[in-house]
Amino acid sequence: MSNAHVSVRDALYEAPGPKTRRRTAIGTGIALAAIAFLAVGVVRQFYITGQLDSKYWSIFTKSTTWKFLGQGIAGTLEVALTAGVITFGLGFLLMLGRISDSKVVRGIATALVEFTRGVPTLLFLYFFFLVVPQFGLTLPSFWKITLPVAISACGVVAEVFRSGVKAVPKGQREAALSIGMSKSHVFLKVVFPQAIRYVIPALLSELVIVVKDTTFAYVVTFPDLMQNAKVLISNYDALLSVYLVVAVIYILINYLLNRASDFAARRRNRTLMAAQQNGNKGV
Amino acid sequence: MEKQSKPNTPEQTPVIELRHVDKHYGQLHVLKDINLSVKKGEVVVIIGPSGSGKSTLCRTINRMETINSGEILIDGTAIPQEGKELARLRAQVGMVFQSFNLFAHKTILDNVTLGPTDVLHVPKKEAREEAIKLLKRVGVDTQAAKLPAQLSGGQQQRVAIARSLAMHPKAILFDEPTSALDPEMIGEVLDVMTELAKEGMTMVVVTHEMNFARRVADRVIFMDGGAIIEENTPEEFFTHPNTQRAQDFLNSIKNH
Repeated sequence: MSNAHVSVRDALYEAPGPKTRRRTAIGTGIALAAIAFLAVGVVRQFYITGQLDSKYWSIFTKSTTWKFLGQGIAGTLEVALTAGVITFGLGFLLMLGRISDSKVVRGIATALVEFTRGVPTLLFLYFFFLVVPQFGLTLPSFWKITLPVAISACGVVAEVFRSGVKAVPKGQREAALSIGMSKSHVFLKVVFPQAIRYVIPALLSELVIVVKDTTFAYVVTFPDLMQNAKVLISNYDALLSVYLVVAVIYILINYLLNRASDFAARRRNRTLMAAQQNGNKGV
Repeated sequence: MEKQSKPNTPEQTPVIELRHVDKHYGQLHVLKDINLSVKKGEVVVIIGPSGSGKSTLCRTINRMETINSGEILIDGTAIPQEGKELARLRAQVGMVFQSFNLFAHKTILDNVTLGPTDVLHVPKKEAREEAIKLLKRVGVDTQAAKLPAQLSGGQQQRVAIARSLAMHPKAILFDEPTSALDPEMIGEVLDVMTELAKEGMTMVVVTHEMNFARRVADRVIFMDGGAIIEENTPEEFFTHPNTQRAQDFLNSIKNH
């Protein structure tokens, strides 16, 4: 537990010496200068082309603009969370298929995982948007965006789950079997709860991808953040300013998700990793 | 040294019985025609060089390892091959592992109560009360709320023993229970095991602890190359073994 505060960098590389420190300082200086130069250049270009005009930015002083964007954020979160829940459910089922004792089940699950991982989200979306209605089933636009996003992520989620299950030491399973637990209880009460802890960071990263995929909502005109941004753009004729603000909002949402992931990873480190250091490695 | 004489009536069904057990890993013949019978209350210690098959033998008894031929009976019942029947039988035979294998995500208390509540359907409150008693018995009751990772190896292994005891097993298998421990923690685990033996628990112990074998075993089984080479009382075995291979083994471990 002593190395709970040691960063990955510290663990992987030896401490830099005086020469390396000097080289790092010079490199940092050059990089900062380059970034500053670029930033100035960008702002200058904006100024020259008139993008900094107050007419493009004054819309953000109106509460109606923010209310509208807020509705968009709510739509995005609604789709992302629902798609997240569905994709975790589907991913769990696919993972069970992948580790099944039956060859046939395993084969079907593998095919589904490859299919959902390989097909782009937009194709799934077109399927629900253009093909499904031809069979007389018209879904509300919320589901037309949520289902494809969920389906396109579930294969990856299944594989993430599976890698977690494989990371649980064999001894955990044996110990549970040895006290007479049934196979299904061993999995649900001992193996999977630990597997989840191993893969929380990877799952949250997948959730970031789900959030980004929700931007396809404009295709089915579901009012998410992206769709509402487009409405603002056409109403106020303000392209760059709106996109910049919306990008910042997306970054904030995903930054929060990543922070949650770091937090979860640290918690896991405190429990499971320590368990392994103490020799609980389950041969 | 002085153990109460164990019930020794010949017509009594052995708690564990292996008949002509064979196991192969591909070309490798890891268990060769093993015959072994363990009576109620008996402590059988299996020793032998590494790779002799002693751990594998121990693990076949609750079917952690499958066998290719022969029979294994627990209290006169052949071990079922799978499913609920196998689980029911495993619940009757405790197992203590070299690497403890405490459930890493559960507290010490929950480690002990999981079996009784999940398998035996004991009410939660009752299971907790008994778990605390068992933890007291192995001397780790003050750690009940902690996670396994927060305990020393010796403490973890004692919890593992308590976890086995919570199932009221007919016998407990110990698969090198002290091999992963730091030297200063071996004693505390062996003490708990010695206590169990005195109380009449039926035990099969795979170990390298010769002093423990000498003190606690009713019978010593010496294995080499997948076969039982010698079966003897501890006094006989450690002073003048019947076989040359056992003699060589004892010499090799005495020489350091």
